Amino acid sequence: MSMAKDNGSLSLVLVGGSSGSFAIFEEMLRLVRNPLSFALIFVLHRGKSSTAVLPQLFKNKTNVAMSEPYHLDPIEANSIYFAYPDYHLLIGPDRRFYYDCTDKDFFSRPSIDATFLSAAVSGIPVKAAMLFSGSSADGAFGMKALAEKGFPTYVQNPAEAESPRMPEQALLTYEKHQVMIDGSLFSIINDILQ
Amino acid sequence: MVLMEYPELEMLIVRIREISGFDFSGYARPSLLRRASRYLTTHKMDFPQLLAHIEPGGSVVYGLIQELTVNYSEMFRDADFFMKVKAEVFTYLESYPTLRFWVAGCATGEEAYSMAIFLKEAGFLSRSLIYATDLSNKALTAAREGVFTLGNVRTYSENYLAAGGRHSLSDYYHVAYNKAVMLPELRRNIVFSMHDLTGDGVFNEFQFISCRNVMIYFTLELRQKVFRLLYDSLSMLGFLCLGKRETLRYSGLEENFKVIDSTLNIYQKIR
Repeated sequence: MSMAKDNGSLSLVLVGGSSGSFAIFEEMLRLVRNPLSFALIFVLHRGKSSTAVLPQLFKNKTNVAMSEPYHLDPIEANSIYFAYPDYHLLIGPDRRFYYDCTDKDFFSRPSIDATFLSAAVSGIPVKAAMLFSGSSADGAFGMKALAEKGFPTYVQNPAEAESPRMPEQALLTYEKHQVMIDGSLFSIINDILQ
Repeated sequence: MVLMEYPELEMLIVRIREISGFDFSGYARPSLLRRASRYLTTHKMDFPQLLAHIEPGGSVVYGLIQELTVNYSEMFRDADFFMKVKAEVFTYLESYPTLRFWVAGCATGEEAYSMAIFLKEAGFLSRSLIYATDLSNKALTAAREGVFTLGNVRTYSENYLAAGGRHSLSDYYHVAYNKAVMLPELRRNIVFSMHDLTGDGVFNEFQFISCRNVMIYFTLELRQKVFRLLYDSLSMLGFLCLGKRETLRYSGLEENFKVIDSTLNIYQKIR
């Protein structure tokens, strides 16, 4: 029997990326199979004037429920969430989403660090955290904190990323992340998503 | 990067209350934790050092409280929100002989000046009073001065035009010492004053309350109390505006409001 909606077994899969990550996110959504035993949370850097509503943009890719959550919405398994532009998306220990309007990290709001760090201290198990292509250093601290808590962390091979800076910085900050190389990228992602 | 844990945050909250009397217990923990961690990082200290640092009688604790409560703000934030307010709310309020607006949690005044400018362009600033309140005296002092950096004003100008401003934002400030100083005539109808949403009560009745991205810093319980205060401060058929990711959900007052715009979170009190 599926435990997907059982709040007692909530776990998170966290995905962060910036420029050059969009196509990977799209492909990832195609690999997602309903029902998911976890909540899948995407933090993609976007400008504050970004009007694209990601759940609408991606709606043909998967039949799992997608949303840009509201403040205090409960985090549920078998759901896909996207960080909203111009806010930081935080994971609360009470299994709710919290928004925050404090300063940008690395010129970004949403910042990947903000979400990942909040997840690391939330007490909610993180099944996996992944970081992809991007041209800023955002995400490196969050990935390190998650890895040090013992959660599995995966980084795209910088040599194969469209913008290597983001995965590169993550590996400089903490060298023991698992590196996903091109040939096996989607099979690793597929394994994580099952 | 220093990352604090929740048990440490709880210790900090107790310590701050003991030393200063300021009570963070009603503040949303995830955001407070982020701010406290950033404080440690920027001041290059760890948690035990922070505890040792904020001694009774010292002034460090007040700087810390300041940093933990300061809100980010910009002029004409969310152009679509201001467009909607002008189209749906201003036209509704047009017939009122006098109007009272409340910008609750005004930080350094950006939203209050934005409202003043659009009320002026709509032609009823002279019969409006804008109450802009915050719990931080420091923020209010800056708000009264109405001085913004030219770098920020460049963004505000873009926001102003995107929000349908009729002139150029530069018509509303003059430049002195490389800063933009808002025109005193805008200030004439704004009352900046100290008010703590979490402790102080109703102080007037308003046709319009903007409390955007403030409620996200309070716990679910405190949030309900603050919603009640806002509700009690609104006149019948008055408008309440929240931030884009906030809703009336979990407020206990959903039934008392009509949704004017569900995306931009504009509500009207109907009972």
